[in-house]
Amino acid sequence: MKVIGVYMDRCLGCKTCELYCGAERGSEGKTLLAAVQETPVPRPRVRVEGGPGGAFPLQCRHCLQAPCLDACLTGALHRDEKSGMVIIQEERCIGCWTCTAFCPYGVIYPSCERKIAVKCDRCLYMEKPVCVDVCPTQALEVMELDEIEELLGEKRQNTTKALAGVGREGIRILDIGR
Amino acid sequence: MTCIIVGGGRAGFQAAMTCRMLRPDQAVTLIDAEKETGYYRTLLPQFMVGALPEERLFFPTGNNDPLLTVRTGVRVKTVDCDSRSLTLEGGETLGYDRLILAHGGDPYLPGILAGPPCHGIFPIRDLTNARRAKAWLTDHRQVVVLGGSLVGVKTAVHLRQAGLAVALVVRRGHILLRALSPESTEVIEAHLRGLGIEICVNAPLEEISASGGAIDALKVGGRWLSCNTLLVATGTAPDTSFLEGTGLLTDGKLIVSPGLQTSDPRIFAAGDVAVISSRGEKISPNTWPQAVSQGRLAAENLYRAVPTPHRDMTRINAMDLHGLAMVILGPPVSGAEVISHARADAFVRRELFLVAGRAVGGALIGDITAAGTIHALINSQRQLTAREAGLIRPRTENVIRFPEQTGRRAALILSPKRSSL
Repeated sequence: MKVIGVYMDRCLGCKTCELYCGAERGSEGKTLLAAVQETPVPRPRVRVEGGPGGAFPLQCRHCLQAPCLDACLTGALHRDEKSGMVIIQEERCIGCWTCTAFCPYGVIYPSCERKIAVKCDRCLYMEKPVCVDVCPTQALEVMELDEIEELLGEKRQNTTKALAGVGREGIRILDIGR
Repeated sequence: MTCIIVGGGRAGFQAAMTCRMLRPDQAVTLIDAEKETGYYRTLLPQFMVGALPEERLFFPTGNNDPLLTVRTGVRVKTVDCDSRSLTLEGGETLGYDRLILAHGGDPYLPGILAGPPCHGIFPIRDLTNARRAKAWLTDHRQVVVLGGSLVGVKTAVHLRQAGLAVALVVRRGHILLRALSPESTEVIEAHLRGLGIEICVNAPLEEISASGGAIDALKVGGRWLSCNTLLVATGTAPDTSFLEGTGLLTDGKLIVSPGLQTSDPRIFAAGDVAVISSRGEKISPNTWPQAVSQGRLAAENLYRAVPTPHRDMTRINAMDLHGLAMVILGPPVSGAEVISHARADAFVRRELFLVAGRAVGGALIGDITAAGTIHALINSQRQLTAREAGLIRPRTENVIRFPEQTGRRAALILSPKRSSL
């Protein structure tokens, strides 16, 4: 399964991904100029969280145990067997917003004008997700989950080395982000 | 090695699907009292007014599964835990290895409706009645919806959207009495009145007038309301009569552990019928997402030595009331601290109920930004930081804010041996 990875040290919080996602996936005109003139205003499926000193583009994580799937009252949300992604069938969505209340990341958005919920489908039918394609600092990258396993293995090795360096007593917990 | 599931609502259906997926060799029998099963009960109001075709009501199902038997229109008469069998009303006896009770609730009807049969009165609960109501509503357009619950409010809005004259009658207090604070209800009621729905509160049903065998008016709270249709949404009550004498009931309720196990380790319960005993409280969330997650968990726990507890006990409900978005995060708690953000001109009210600094419920009306994030915070059961509490007043679309000093940190936890040095 493919996922979108983020290099946090590269993200500037410039919101280019938001702009282009809104234009390409949410607008009729498919250009920034056309998109800003449309009503309702096109809605992006990615949102840049945080602020100066730490920004992060966030889109649907396609959770393996996705709470939104349980929450959907109409069967509009389902998992695509081939890609493993959580996809919304717009024609079945009634805009009850239950899924938005169950997404812990807040990345299912109510489109009140269209009366449907919108979410990232990782540009399933395109060559590459728009947000990844347009990021000026290449902070976003499509990765296979296997590659992430490799990265995690590398991290575990570093942890082991770090532990060896501080002696054998005590438990060392790395990377507590508080 | 048969698993029997009683009830074909969302919890029962989800349990059956999960059983078949987890244990492909085990046969599953699903028994339901209704003639039809496997449909989205929450969509019945839209169906009744013709806004949704009937085929969209049913769950998408896969290929025929030879090991899944669905028996509809059948009621269970008794359960015998010792011999691990249950008897159906027709006299047939079925043995089980594991049993999941997920038969939901029957509509509760006020006593006054038990009088002589009268055309034009329908409970809002099942597809059979929804079909009858739909046919009736085509030429009976003056409707009273009895009951201010979520189902009642939602039904009233859909009927009004379809152009019918609608009055919403609430026996006591205000609409959504158990779900919202009076302040939040004011926002909803103002919106409903703006839609043209007449709201009668503190108005118990006193008398029904019929003409030619059909309802033509009813008396509520001392005044007569003219109508030709009465839709009843006064709640449901689980039917546990067939479980009497089994030892599974406590004060008539089917109490289960957080792992959804009853007092008999081979019997589990899920959905509206299950009352979960957790941390000294008895919880019955009665929501659609809970039915799904409980149905799945009951099926997963069937053969676990130690059943996994259900983690999400929240009573989250969301709906769109014809342009007014609403998320109910949990009912008001007496004595709780309330933090709120309101913009009356825009029909916005957002509130959180805090007990000992922990969010225990709340409601987002008119602006549901960060609903999922706040739901996750309620589930975390920890004290909110000032930053998190600030989510109730969204200044931007951002819902996750990073600490000012980013970067990795490490913590060294010393062993007792080193601490003592």
